[in-house]
Amino acid sequence: MKIQLRLYGSSKILSDDDALKIELPNNSNIEKLRDVLSKIISEKHSKSNLKNLPKTAAFFSEKNEVVNDNYKLKDKESISIIPPIGGG
Amino acid sequence: MTLHIALVKTEEEKISSEKAKKFITSEKNGAESIFVGKVRNENDGKKVTAVTYDAHDQTVIKSFESICQKAKNKFDKNAKIFLEHAKGYAPVGQISILIAVGAGHRDEAFKICRYILEEVKKQSPIWKKEHYTDGKEEWLPGHSLRPKKEVK
Repeated sequence: MKIQLRLYGSSKILSDDDALKIELPNNSNIEKLRDVLSKIISEKHSKSNLKNLPKTAAFFSEKNEVVNDNYKLKDKESISIIPPIGGG
Repeated sequence: MTLHIALVKTEEEKISSEKAKKFITSEKNGAESIFVGKVRNENDGKKVTAVTYDAHDQTVIKSFESICQKAKNKFDKNAKIFLEHAKGYAPVGQISILIAVGAGHRDEAFKICRYILEEVKKQSPIWKKEHYTDGKEEWLPGHSLRPKKEVK
């Protein structure tokens, strides 16, 4: 299945677009998404400062709520990655 | 109306302290407190030319409403609050955040201002990318919103 990862903050380094399409095994959850993201970063963005991003990021559902690691993703679902924040 | 909150797109508009002062003015209030955060020209020994602010718009607005409402409930239910944050490219000297509070007394006005600033930093999904004089740029580290019980 494929999901759309909407990029914010430092995660924008992952793509020139606002979102990244990610292929995942069926019935994947957020924990699996973190694993896949780690692989993408180590393979394609090893020189960036994103190594810790899969561990430190939160994820927002389409309802703009934080979802936990057990949250089951659906095919074509749009999820926002929320790197550590720091406005002001 | 006692609350004004907004994310201001820097390419369209600038945050204005005059607008904030007008909004919070009331004969019922004996104190006004205004905090203005600006882009500075140095951070961690690096010379900064500008900051780009990114934001998850809907959640930021939701968090601003919640933070301001809690501040009113905690310190002064009749306080007037103005909160704006920049989104987009902001050169050195430009206002990044403005919090203005009109309250009955000085203590409440100061406390609400400080409370809002600290909670925005902890709760509102906003990110900063600094641009440096040598042409490099860097996203700054921040506060993780991942549920603490999940972090191994």
